[in-house]
Amino acid sequence: MSEHHITPLKTYLAVAGTLFFLTVVTVWVSYFDFGSFNIVIAMGVATLKASIVALFFMHLLWDDKKNLTMFVMSLMFLGIFITVTLLDTGFRGGVNSEVESPINNRAAFYDSLPLTDTHGHPVDEHSADHHGEGEDHH
Amino acid sequence: MSHDNSSPKFLQHHFHDVEQQYETAKLGMWAFILTEVLTFGGLFVAYVVYRSWYPEMFVGANLLLDVNKGLLNTIVLITSSLTMVLAVWAIQKKNQKLSLFMLIATFLFAFMFLGIKYLEYSHKFEVGQLPGEYYSYMGPEIAHLNNPHIFFSIYFIMTGLHGLHVAIGMGLIAWLIYATAKGNLNSEYYTPMEMIGIFWHLVDLIWIYLFPLFYLI
Repeated sequence: MSEHHITPLKTYLAVAGTLFFLTVVTVWVSYFDFGSFNIVIAMGVATLKASIVALFFMHLLWDDKKNLTMFVMSLMFLGIFITVTLLDTGFRGGVNSEVESPINNRAAFYDSLPLTDTHGHPVDEHSADHHGEGEDHH
Repeated sequence: MSHDNSSPKFLQHHFHDVEQQYETAKLGMWAFILTEVLTFGGLFVAYVVYRSWYPEMFVGANLLLDVNKGLLNTIVLITSSLTMVLAVWAIQKKNQKLSLFMLIATFLFAFMFLGIKYLEYSHKFEVGQLPGEYYSYMGPEIAHLNNPHIFFSIYFIMTGLHGLHVAIGMGLIAWLIYATAKGNLNSEYYTPMEMIGIFWHLVDLIWIYLFPLFYLI
């Protein structure tokens, strides 16, 4: 075991410092509105942080590359999973307007929230009309 | 590695040498990490799909979460990742005492994470920001939002499964503390610490995505 790569302490501290810095950056940036770029920026910073964690803390940088390959492959399959699912859910109703509906028809969906009084409490029998609204709003 | 004739007692007979045993354990660990990515992946898909259906609702509902608590938890978890990696580093450097200290620190940070999470959850239980049909919060700031209960369904499932991983990680780290204190782990054989470390960094890695997805955007 003695021949394993031992990462210098300085590297670990620098990595942690970078992670703290990027955390502060992503929170700070979230107070500005860049429209649809909010998500891109937040996910970009998160991916940068995640890569640093994987490469340095999880030692993938110095490991046999088969481990990195396996990890990257899991992310590729996650990408396929997301893309193919969005190809369905993103274009429902694009071909046939009447097939646009929630995945689970019995799930509670509101066209608008039930009425509330001035204290924010539901006015009446809101638990009774929780269910069954989803089906008839199309 | 020096090839002396007497093989160390932690080397199991079906492995050629110590290095092969270590590499095999690591490959198995990464196979497990792969399944973890796919487990959480399904939930990330749920997040992406519902966010694409209710973009304004997600933007509005994340304002109900406490960014400060989320930020604090992020810092706590990154710190615990650092102490975990330093525990491995210390044992590689033959400093068992420091390694033990770092493991205990990691355990305490994990406990702190769950404590902060408990405060967040109990507040949400109080005001009724709960998943699915248990949702009852009708405060003025969400009056214009449709279906905030979906946001909280996904929030509770994802942070709940993540919290379960933290709890399991605490159990594993507790065992590492025991094994290190007993002297079972040393600079020649620290495979369990390295593997549990990888698991612990995965927990950190997932939180790195959960934090902006739920608290920031």
